[in-house]
Amino acid sequence: MLEKFLAGSAALFGDPFTIGIFVFGVIGGMLFGAIPGVSMLTLAAILLPFTAGLEPAQGVMLFAVIYCTGTYGGAITAILFNIPGAPENAPTAFDGYPMTQKGQSGKAVGAAVLCSAIGGVASALVMMAATEPLANWAIKNIGPPEIFALVFFGLAVASSVGARTIWKGWMSVLIGLLIATIGQDPVGGINRYNFGLTDLAAGIAFVPAILGFFAVSEIFVQAERTATGTYKAPKVSMTFPTLVELWLHKVAVIRSILVGFFCGILPGIGATLAAFMGYGEAVRWSKNKEEFGKGKLEGVISSETANNAATGAAMIPLLALGLPGGALTAMMVAVFQMHDLQPGPLVFYTSPDLIWVVFAAMFYANLSILIIGLVETKTILNLLKIPFPFLAPLILMLATIGAYISRGLVLDVIVMFLAGILGYLLRRTGFSIPGIVLGLILGKIGEQNFAQGMQMVHYDLGTYFSRPICTLLIIAGSLTLLTSIYRAFTPAKVQD
Amino acid sequence: MGRLNRGHLIEAAVWLSIVAVFYAFSFEFNQPIEIYIFGATAWPRVVIFLLLIATIGNLYYQYKNGSSAQGGIVGSTEDADKAADFTESTTLIRMIAVLFTPFIFAWLLKPVGIYFSAPFFIAAIMWLFGERRWKAMLVMTFIIYAIFIGLFLVVLNAPLPQGNTSPFYDYSAWILKMNTQLQANW
Repeated sequence: MLEKFLAGSAALFGDPFTIGIFVFGVIGGMLFGAIPGVSMLTLAAILLPFTAGLEPAQGVMLFAVIYCTGTYGGAITAILFNIPGAPENAPTAFDGYPMTQKGQSGKAVGAAVLCSAIGGVASALVMMAATEPLANWAIKNIGPPEIFALVFFGLAVASSVGARTIWKGWMSVLIGLLIATIGQDPVGGINRYNFGLTDLAAGIAFVPAILGFFAVSEIFVQAERTATGTYKAPKVSMTFPTLVELWLHKVAVIRSILVGFFCGILPGIGATLAAFMGYGEAVRWSKNKEEFGKGKLEGVISSETANNAATGAAMIPLLALGLPGGALTAMMVAVFQMHDLQPGPLVFYTSPDLIWVVFAAMFYANLSILIIGLVETKTILNLLKIPFPFLAPLILMLATIGAYISRGLVLDVIVMFLAGILGYLLRRTGFSIPGIVLGLILGKIGEQNFAQGMQMVHYDLGTYFSRPICTLLIIAGSLTLLTSIYRAFTPAKVQD
Repeated sequence: MGRLNRGHLIEAAVWLSIVAVFYAFSFEFNQPIEIYIFGATAWPRVVIFLLLIATIGNLYYQYKNGSSAQGGIVGSTEDADKAADFTESTTLIRMIAVLFTPFIFAWLLKPVGIYFSAPFFIAAIMWLFGERRWKAMLVMTFIIYAIFIGLFLVVLNAPLPQGNTSPFYDYSAWILKMNTQLQANW
């Protein structure tokens, strides 16, 4: 393995043009992740046509690097502005933004830098060591029933965080699931709820919906606070977390690496669910549950470690099985196809050089997060000093471009602003925006895998539950759900 | 009525309407799928049914506890229902303007294009956020416009809406021509 890794590193750093692409990917991913309103997906969508002119290894490597650094970059906007750069950073905002409001933004961003790097490097190492055996294990043990079961577990966890009441948490997830039913059904391709609009037949695009729910709704919330005179500028702080503080959370880091890696390895699941599960598990095992959501460092650490731990793992189903784990890995499939390559088991034999250049690049990209991240953090924290009346139009402009660019449709911009208004109204009434977004993202995946699973077991639920991983996940999800049902009907300890 | 108020009833009515509309429209695609016995409607209808139960449960909770947050819920940082006071009509009008200005901008993208409409949109948002120093607005509009043009047009060559009516389309064409010349000179 070491030999192959060194060969990959030599190929990466032996050519100045490849180094240039690597550096561009590292900085571009961080920058687009960290600028509120756009995300790594915006950059990836813009760059996709240009990869046709690159070598296959350079093209795939560029996207892999953007994936690693962009996942970290999105944490910065989540912490500083309550605008997650990508859905995988949504749980980071639960505690990151309250930390900013308490004047601990430096501490939160510092923890995000370090934990993203740790999660990413650990994931990259496991990916290098075990892609082939893990892929073989996944082929034998993971099928549609297990993926559906994990979606169910993830949604059960998501429904219990972020909203004012359990009922609103469930409603948030269900709204997301309902929006996800718009467009063609994943089994028969029948149009659902497109109301005669051709553009809606493809469903609601994720990018504009996510930008609307997260970025635009936050702008509207701040506008409300400005209009009513309740706006408080966030406090800038440059104090980083101490090593002792981080060492105290070592268990949370290890747990999140495991959770993130497990979620990442499953096709179609990716880093978003990993972040929610990492955060959910941190809450579950904590002795001070009530401190979460109010600015607890462990919340940021758990979420950021888990989402970056999923990035390396997400490459396993992509490279070994040809199954993308999310929007960005789906674009990587397009890069492969542009160069007449097909990701899958054969790629390890037909293009081993490409694989090891990508592995090496992901390893170094995660290390770069630590080095560049710590250097740039102090610069980025100064974003908080920009008055919001100047920041708001910049964010809205960038969000408009981000929504338009992926499909070139003005309808997507309109969808984004509609999602923004909806998100604003729902936040005012205590619903959970991350819950809606997770429902939206996992809705189609859940339905498709449920349908495939039922077809696989010939609609026999007994066979469905004879699969151990599936049963374990269903039991875990059901326990989460039953706990929240119990809480919903127990006389509430209300907070006025 | 318990601790229910008019807002809670409106909220419940909205969700029940959504449930009713989505259920009614589900008959439009109620076709069998040969390879899948549950068809295209089963999944949406299960979601609709669960949403109905959650809406009723939410109403029951509000009947018992009003708008209070439930203890032990993690991650809810919103000060719901007490976030804003819209008793002053100017505040309400300003908020409505904030919500609808982006729509006007989005609606103008097709005929006018982003290159022409962007500066007006940027300035309008600044004004709605309470900025009244016209020199600061002018400078910041220019800076944001320059960042947008520099990053997305000059560096990334991103295809953006150019408009389809004259003279806006001509303005977009002029900007693109300038960009081509700039890149040719490099």
